[in-house]
Amino acid sequence: MRTLGLIRRGTPGPSRDLWPGLRASLDADDVLVLRVPALGWLEATAVAVAVGTLALVPDPVRFLSACGLL
Amino acid sequence: MVRRRDLLAYLIGAGVAGTLLTAPYAARLAAVRLIAGATTMADVPFFLLPILWGLWNLLWARRQPAMGIGAWGALLGVVAGIAVNLFLVAVGTWFPVMMLLPAYLPVLYFLLFRLIIGPLNEALGVESERSTAAG
Repeated sequence: MRTLGLIRRGTPGPSRDLWPGLRASLDADDVLVLRVPALGWLEATAVAVAVGTLALVPDPVRFLSACGLL
Repeated sequence: MVRRRDLLAYLIGAGVAGTLLTAPYAARLAAVRLIAGATTMADVPFFLLPILWGLWNLLWARRQPAMGIGAWGALLGVVAGIAVNLFLVAVGTWFPVMMLLPAYLPVLYFLLFRLIIGPLNEALGVESERSTAAG
């Protein structure tokens, strides 16, 4: 029994802490800064196309449901 | 063994798509009640979107393709648009407007990936230093 105890104490088990960095951040109450890209012409055009298409299609509700958005 | 970055990438994609799924679950009921003729819904397996988005973002983290995150999302939109069309054809509920989907979803996915997934990837360390380019 004593020998077994010595062996156990001699070889520490593997660390179960898979995310040490994330844990450290959480412990430090780290603040995440989300840097959303500035809205330019590309994004504005995409929004216009997305909304405009819904105005043009004959059955927008069915179309949106096919998109997985409704 | 899974790399932390890959797992985070998957969770970001799946988490955002899963959050967006509140719309089909909640707004669909409202639409059916409020909008006349809204009972004809396309029945697509939208509940698979979190897995699809998660895997797509994981692929982004692994491969770091030579394009912006928005373009990468648009590519998923093309794939998803075609897949939905094939699915609706297979189950016999396809309707002509569906031809627009492979063009419409890329626009939508471009916006969502560029404005939501990209910033989250960057903030949580999934994004490498290299890929902060536009698009």
